[in-house]
Amino acid sequence: MKQTNNNEVDLLLRSLARGRGESALQDESWSGDGKRAASDHLDADELNSYAEGVAPAAARARYSEHLADCDACRGIVVGLTQAAGAVTRIEVPEPKGLSFWNKLTTFFSPVVIRYAVPVLVLTAVIGVSLLALWQPRQHELIALNQPSGSSTTPGQIEPTGSPTGHTANEAPVTMQKGVEAPAADGSVNKKKSLEDEKLRAGIGTGTSDNEELRREQVAKDAAKPEEPATLSDLRPSYAPEPKAAAPPPPQASQSEGDSIAFAKEQPAKREGQERKRDDVIRNQPSDEHGPNRSAAPNTAKAPLAARRVGGLTAGSSGQNTQNKIDKAGEVETRTVSGRRFAREGNAWVDTAYDSSRATINVARGSEQFRALVADEPGLGAIAQQLNGVVIVVWKNRVYRIQ
Amino acid sequence: MSKRTEQIENLFAAGASRLLARAVDDYSLTGETLKPRIRSAVGKYVLRDDPQASPEVVIDFIDKLQADDLCLIVACEQGNQKAWSDLVERFSTTVRSAARSASSNEEGAEDLAQSIWAELHGLRVREDGKPAGKLAYYSGRGSLAGWLRAVVAQLAVDQHRRQSRLVQTEEDADFDRIIQHGQQENTWSGHGEAVNPELEISRKLAGAEMQKALAAAIKQLSAEDRLLVKLYYFDGLRLREAGAVLGVHEATASRRLTRVHAELRGQVERILVEEEGWTKPETERAFSEVALHLEADIEPLLATEGMLMKKENEIAG
Repeated sequence: MKQTNNNEVDLLLRSLARGRGESALQDESWSGDGKRAASDHLDADELNSYAEGVAPAAARARYSEHLADCDACRGIVVGLTQAAGAVTRIEVPEPKGLSFWNKLTTFFSPVVIRYAVPVLVLTAVIGVSLLALWQPRQHELIALNQPSGSSTTPGQIEPTGSPTGHTANEAPVTMQKGVEAPAADGSVNKKKSLEDEKLRAGIGTGTSDNEELRREQVAKDAAKPEEPATLSDLRPSYAPEPKAAAPPPPQASQSEGDSIAFAKEQPAKREGQERKRDDVIRNQPSDEHGPNRSAAPNTAKAPLAARRVGGLTAGSSGQNTQNKIDKAGEVETRTVSGRRFAREGNAWVDTAYDSSRATINVARGSEQFRALVADEPGLGAIAQQLNGVVIVVWKNRVYRIQ
Repeated sequence: MSKRTEQIENLFAAGASRLLARAVDDYSLTGETLKPRIRSAVGKYVLRDDPQASPEVVIDFIDKLQADDLCLIVACEQGNQKAWSDLVERFSTTVRSAARSASSNEEGAEDLAQSIWAELHGLRVREDGKPAGKLAYYSGRGSLAGWLRAVVAQLAVDQHRRQSRLVQTEEDADFDRIIQHGQQENTWSGHGEAVNPELEISRKLAGAEMQKALAAAIKQLSAEDRLLVKLYYFDGLRLREAGAVLGVHEATASRRLTRVHAELRGQVERILVEEEGWTKPETERAFSEVALHLEADIEPLLATEGMLMKKENEIAG
């Protein structure tokens, strides 16, 4: 019904517009000087500010009032808007009169639901799929960790297992033949901790039961050098028993958090190994370790020309480029449309460019840029093939395209 | 000088200094040279609508002025030859392009482009001995390229108007006849033979009253809504284009138009009931009948419309 009403009004409006006399050009001219003629036309500056959407709100409302009634000014504004491209300011608060119920009805309208339901279903399917994929991967990681871990000789220092699993081949584990495997099941751990408590209590009281427990514990300790302290030790019972023991190499890539936990647990045993590891980290290239990344200021040695060109400052990407240039020890060059360009920072600079000459700044996509490219297609080709800021000498003029 | 005036003047002076600092090439202008231009722009766009505007608003306005373009234009006005060279060099293509859009042929476009430079420079001389060109009226609020396009468009319309006053061409006469013919055919009764003369007369009367009520309802719309209706129905723009003029997205323009339809229908019904003495069922029936006839007639009307638009474009150039 509502749509029908709209169609009727739409048809009436079309008919009214057709029936209206076509006299867009009124019989007054613009003074062009800001002094309004009797017709109160907008001057060029006002028309342009309206078309570009830069007129302040109050002035804009005033101009809208005029444009709604003045065909001539409206025609010019339409032309200016089309010439300037789509000047689209996104979203102005729209339906003021809508009630909450109307909004709710609109939100759950068939048009919205038609798209929303498939999207929700698709999202759910993707979520479930990802979850399903993630679960087996976790098992794989655990399974991979187990063969890498191997039995160590009693008393050998056990390095901390990496929870990330990336040191699977490096991380030795404490599993040993004939030794009871620490189960991932929490019940075993609980039982053990209870035994520990009982043992400690027994030492204090000297009861026979506790004495017995203590003896059992001592026997276990003799067979098992250390408690499993890491995630890799909490292996599921179905994991295969490791066969070979790998010597524990220094864990250069171990996370800092692991190191802290590790140090808390066994400070005395780990101290020497930590020191070795720190030495390894220090000796490695700086870009492999986050904390040391800032301590590699290669930029200090960068050539001056590559750092700043005509007031251009390279950003972070420019910094990387600069590092590359440093490493390469040469400047990247390209030849486009017969002009040779050198890469300086994030800018391509014409080798014929003399920094003492004045430049004409042209922004990509601007009206001036389009006009320039229309007149000089060669410049267009250069701007198209070279990204970022381009400084080009063209017909004895210097253009800075950015 | 009142405290308020003094405060505003200080804002202008400080704003002029900042503007010069922002400009890539200030053409050796001074803050004092720029100050009158800034005062004029602020007065036109800010203080006219809000004489008690806060300093923050004024500062924000000044800092959004196009520094490079404004310095260039003021330097040109001051007679700086380098500035003139830069202006011609940088914007001759823009002016040519705008002139081509406004003219029907290449020769006319070239004439128009040439006359723009004379208009900008000014053929008359002001009291202070400087040329009274249009350059004096660029505020720096919008881009210089856009302003030049607007000047070209206004000049083209003026030229066309002058020419049409002198010569009533054969094409114009044809055009008028076509419009007249179209108007006659675009009545509410539309095309086709009248089956019942009485019915036809009453329908015509009803249509005329509805048309009158609709025109009155359009006048009661807000300026933005009225502008949208004019752009979409009367100027024949697409919603995307109308939205661009209004500075809103196409979807927003569409929603706004839907709301306008509802408003107009309500207003027309109210006018017909309260002022013309219709009953509610009569208005609803009239809407349905009118719409039915208009739908039946839409095909031949669209054909006529196409012919009209073609002719109009030819004449407007």
